[in-house]
Amino acid sequence: MNRKETVNELQLLVYELDVESAMTKEVVTVSPDLAMDKLPKILKSNRITGVPVTEDGRLVGIISLEDYVRWAADDGKPSCVGDVMTRKVHTIYSDEPLVSAVSRLERFACGRLPVLDRTTDTLAGIVTKGDVIESMLGNLEIDYREEGLRTYRTSRFFEDIVSDSTELSFAYEIRGESISEGGEVASSLKKTLRRLGMHPDVVRRAAITVYEAEMNVIIYAKAGRVRVSIDQHHISMVVEDEGPGIPDLEQAMAPGFSTAPESVRELGFGAGMGLPNIKQCAESFEIESVVGEGTTLRVSFHMEEACA
Amino acid sequence: MEVATGPMTLRRIQEMLGASCITADPPLDLEALVGCASDLMSNVLAFGRPHAILLTGLTSPQTVRTAEVADCVAVCFAYGRQPPAETIELAEGSGIPLFVTPLTLYAASGRLYELGLPGCPEIE
Amino acid sequence: MCLSDIARELDLTVIYDGGDIDREITGGYATDLMSDAIAHAKAGDLWVTLQVHVNVVAVASMKDLGAVVLTQDRQPLPETLQKARDEGIPLLGSNLRAFDLIGRLYQLGIRGT
Repeated sequence: MNRKETVNELQLLVYELDVESAMTKEVVTVSPDLAMDKLPKILKSNRITGVPVTEDGRLVGIISLEDYVRWAADDGKPSCVGDVMTRKVHTIYSDEPLVSAVSRLERFACGRLPVLDRTTDTLAGIVTKGDVIESMLGNLEIDYREEGLRTYRTSRFFEDIVSDSTELSFAYEIRGESISEGGEVASSLKKTLRRLGMHPDVVRRAAITVYEAEMNVIIYAKAGRVRVSIDQHHISMVVEDEGPGIPDLEQAMAPGFSTAPESVRELGFGAGMGLPNIKQCAESFEIESVVGEGTTLRVSFHMEEACA
Repeated sequence: MEVATGPMTLRRIQEMLGASCITADPPLDLEALVGCASDLMSNVLAFGRPHAILLTGLTSPQTVRTAEVADCVAVCFAYGRQPPAETIELAEGSGIPLFVTPLTLYAASGRLYELGLPGCPEIE
Repeated sequence: MCLSDIARELDLTVIYDGGDIDREITGGYATDLMSDAIAHAKAGDLWVTLQVHVNVVAVASMKDLGAVVLTQDRQPLPETLQKARDEGIPLLGSNLRAFDLIGRLYQLGIRGT
């Protein structure tokens, strides 16, 4: 992952993750009736520098080591937490995005934010800068392995756009005879479709199709391109090349028939399986070819009936 | 002799094939669900099942691309054949662990099958 | 083990018997790459492959292999079958995929090298 991608991903994560996923749920709390001289021991044994003060689960204030030091320096006459604590506490709701926690921690220059449950208004947890960092790093790790959170969920994406019809399209260029680059388009397309949150089965079939089509262009043609367009229900792909064309389409579709040279067979392709493979993967399949001009392949996939 | 068939961890596969892993930090606890022996990448693309271990003699970058596209869990090269640097680089980038076994493709497949790793379903 | 026994045990289709279906098979070999077969296959081996073109028979003949088994029900091209007849190379077929077929051959005791 390069630096730019990492930054983008972090930005995405702070919006996508909510406070609840990052906060510490097991929170140490104290009652406002607790005697001040008992406070250091609680802070020390829990290795914390501040603690929320609650009454029947409701947050009434927060008391920190700083408050304690100020109280002790101010002659330390017997008092309870309720008298010394800070009553005006900055809080955050558990369902808010992590980005809100980051900005509030920054704006109020505080080390921790008590987290409230929006429906019951009771204390649900506490979130610190450390929690935010840990959560994002943890999620980046998952992301890196599975690209899981990097999905925009296509359905949501399309719902967000107000129009009569919406189509997302993108294209890839293929250089002929660049055998060592074979599979690059398939790999890029697979990543892209995954990030768009598509069903793994559809992603797989689309990637296989484009891999075979890509190899055909590389083996036989000078150049070609893949155009992909996605609407709410379908992925359509057009693969065009400026190649020699196919004289006998029926023969080309027969499994095992191939005109590929031995050098290509030794690379694991050209065994006469390409077009039959594509036909098997795609839900619709059309091929047109003009000898001396080139070949155009049109395929499409349904997004919903992924496991059909 | 009947053996229990089922998924096999990469750790056990590596051990049973006397294979070395040539990519960094191999996730040895991952399980291969099925075995697939092929040098024809089109065939892997067409009939491979997700989470297969791909046994092959073909060490070109296309093998890694194929494993990636066909959702293979790992690739094991036969004949002690070390793949070119670009293949390894690609595998590191796409998170496909690569192994090298000194066995032939035949012996490696036979051994894993004997130990209970299932194959891909028969073609209809 | 003799070829006819193997064919019976594993339900292989005999596409062409090579003139002697009882010949002895001494080992197994699997590849879809001609260069690998040329380099590593041993005389008397049963060769498991998905390739159906004529070079398969040419290589099998050159290396004195025992027989060729085509996997996944693949049919030889007409020129491949013709070449097998010319060279006396048995051609068999299986509906299994290579991994499964190899596994079953291995269990019959047909080992690789």
